[in-house]
Amino acid sequence: MILRLVIADGSQSPAVAESVEVAADGALTGWRSVSDGGAGWFDGRLPPAELAEIQALIEAVGATPPKAAARPDSAEEVLELDATGPVSIAGLTAGPGDWSKLAAAARGLLDRLTDFPRAVVGVRYAPGVARLVHRGADPVRVDVGTVTVGATAWRGYYEPAGDWAGAVAGPGEIEAGPEWTYDLPLGLSFDSDTVVHLTADFTILNGPTRIPVRAKFTPDAPS
Amino acid sequence: MASAEQRTPEFEPPDAVGVRRPDPGPAGPVMLPGAGNAAMARMLQGAPSGPAGLAELSALAGNAQLARFVGGPPAPAAPAAPGVGAHGGPIQELQVKLSRLQASAAPLTEDGRYGPLTEAAVRTFQTGAGIVPVTGLADPVTTAAIDAAFAALPAPVRVQLALGATGPDVGFAQQKLNAVGANPRLVINAVFDATMMGPVIAYEIAALHRFPTGTVDAAMWTALDAGVKGGFVAPEGAGATPVEQNTPSGTANSLGTQVAGTSLHPVVGVGGLTSGPGVHELQQKLNNAGAAPKLKDDGSFGPLTQAELRKFQSGRVPPLPATGTADKATWDALDVASPASMTGAVERQWTEVVGGATYSMVGVGASHYSWEIQKTRMLVTAKVNFVGLAAPGAWFGHVEAMWNQYKGVDPASGTSMPIDFKMSSGGGGDANTVEVKPGTGRANAGEWFVADPNASKTIPHEFGHLIGLQDEYQLHPGDYVRVTGHEPPVGDAAGPAIAPSVVATNLQNAMVARSSANAQAASIGAGVKGGAYAQRVVQEYAKLATVTVPAVAAVAGPPPVPAKPAVPLTGDLLFDLNAALPSDNNSYETIQTFSYSSGSIMGDPGRVTDPHDHGAQPRHLGEFMAILGRALGGTWEAKRR
Ligand SMILES: [Zn+2]
Repeated sequence: MILRLVIADGSQSPAVAESVEVAADGALTGWRSVSDGGAGWFDGRLPPAELAEIQALIEAVGATPPKAAARPDSAEEVLELDATGPVSIAGLTAGPGDWSKLAAAARGLLDRLTDFPRAVVGVRYAPGVARLVHRGADPVRVDVGTVTVGATAWRGYYEPAGDWAGAVAGPGEIEAGPEWTYDLPLGLSFDSDTVVHLTADFTILNGPTRIPVRAKFTPDAPS
Repeated sequence: MASAEQRTPEFEPPDAVGVRRPDPGPAGPVMLPGAGNAAMARMLQGAPSGPAGLAELSALAGNAQLARFVGGPPAPAAPAAPGVGAHGGPIQELQVKLSRLQASAAPLTEDGRYGPLTEAAVRTFQTGAGIVPVTGLADPVTTAAIDAAFAALPAPVRVQLALGATGPDVGFAQQKLNAVGANPRLVINAVFDATMMGPVIAYEIAALHRFPTGTVDAAMWTALDAGVKGGFVAPEGAGATPVEQNTPSGTANSLGTQVAGTSLHPVVGVGGLTSGPGVHELQQKLNNAGAAPKLKDDGSFGPLTQAELRKFQSGRVPPLPATGTADKATWDALDVASPASMTGAVERQWTEVVGGATYSMVGVGASHYSWEIQKTRMLVTAKVNFVGLAAPGAWFGHVEAMWNQYKGVDPASGTSMPIDFKMSSGGGGDANTVEVKPGTGRANAGEWFVADPNASKTIPHEFGHLIGLQDEYQLHPGDYVRVTGHEPPVGDAAGPAIAPSVVATNLQNAMVARSSANAQAASIGAGVKGGAYAQRVVQEYAKLATVTVPAVAAVAGPPPVPAKPAVPLTGDLLFDLNAALPSDNNSYETIQTFSYSSGSIMGDPGRVTDPHDHGAQPRHLGEFMAILGRALGGTWEAKRR
């Protein structure tokens, strides 16, 4: 492990609990609980150029980041490097300075992670339904007995065009594997000229642990 | 949430629980600084009694204290005679009364807007009172009947309280004693203990002018209730929803705590701002300070302004370095020479403690805003440099819909002017930087999400931070009363049938075990709800021997938990819960239980429903009322418009 970032925010429900870890050989692993790429385990490998960039950023920083309290309403962000141990980076906002650049790159790795699903359930939109989809090669146990679905439609550049939220009955506790999908009906149909965003809240089962998660679908609006 | 290791030495440590900040009001002796304990003890024992002893205690209580006790509430505004679509302070008063008369279906959100729910409540009242025809209009007959019915509502039934008493009324008495100046503040713990005895006796002497009995009896309740509003639970709406009535206390200051040694003015001139409101302010102040010939108030920092600034600097006694740049020292001198201006720019560096963690807006991330007193209104602008994606147009409207609800009123002169807030888009040294990110997520003061489905609430909240306002959730009691201007609620006074010390010990054990699930089980799971009982747990926790929780490695999970350094527990429950426990739902809800949150736009309306304290509140405009007073004279108050 040359870098680990954990972001946690218990004020949200489901709680935000995200982690990403980079190994010296470029292996990229982690967990997302609230994400556009779906919720679950991710596992991949950074191309050499990306790994080299991260390594250079890690080598550039000193042993301790500049002290900075986070902005109001910020989540907890803890970065671990071999040289530093755990350090809080929530106060390191975009800007110049090696630590700010490393913080931004580490946050970016959480998004990069979603390109490498291993055992993940995500959500996609098709007219009238929120479609749960499995991503990755490995199965994942989920409780989708009741899925809380939120849908928001946007017209133009993020002009609200209606929304709907409700609890939708699903198939219960199942093992979702490759090719698995399940359609959850929405209680409202949206105009075809809108972009629809979705959230689907369900539970991932990891042995005896039940982890509430949110898969999101938030494609860009045409700008 | 931030963690303990982020706290930096330059930040002032927050107040200990229950300790009131220094009173910014007129200096005077404090109420009972343990004062007169010997004298009180003698009197309670009955000797030596008589005038000499009373005089001794009066002296200790102090004249400022006495003045605070005898002050009365301001007179209410006169109601109008409106219907749907009407708005303003009188409508808000009407809503308060309709809820309390249980004419509304549910407690009305007191927003001063005469909408369908208010109209329906008026109809219900008219029907019940036999007023015909039933119009839903608050005509003079209806209004008079509502006023009469409201005035006829029974006063709260009060319990006589003596040493050792417990229950909600003890908490309400504590609120009221705090509101009249108990110093140090009483923890609202609903226990009449020796700490409460001091303020009770002081009030008896100073306000009731009587020989102390050490009890809150009927006479004292009458005086406390007459002097301080709120402090009881009333059924509201047809469903008789119990709503604790807020107890006003002191003057609210909803701004974040300014970082010591910082200026509220941006640097203007060479190396700083050379155009915009900050330059207007400089030119106006230089003119007021005697510039001859007067500078053109054009908001552009040119050679004439610079020369005049140098003249001002070198003319100080002792002279300031004639740099031609308005830095902190220069602005300090200008504020003395010329306190008033019609335009101003603010760069506010501030911190807050929320959920036991410190957050800040400092350096380039400080709150940047400006204001201008125009002919017919005051305009407050926060300019935002949006980076990343473009800001959706609707966001600008959300700010105005939430914030443009008030006017400044100077009752003495009868002058009033609307206070308009505006978020504008632009760059420069006086702009706030906000990154607009794709998709959805939890916004913070500098990071907003383009597809936030709750943007109508989120954006006005974050805008509040851009004009220097701090959060109003998960606060220590001292901060809560400062930012809201009302006492912490009594909430659940009784609590579960467990000694608070047991809960405190269990919480400490949970922290040592780094287990938020255990902390939740020890508190919420054991039946602890927010309020007076929870504050007894906070007090018991502070008495425990502190320990250091050893460092812990990251847990892969899921859910993942970050590594944490060793945490020396402090005895402050909120700090310790935040520092020791992982940031998850269990720890967040536990911290919520032992802290205070308002229901306003700067609070946590999602978790705290308070029909009396929601949206933008007059307290949030306090800074601008003070500015109006400096610029135009008089004492300005924010009123609904
Ligand atoms: Zn906030």
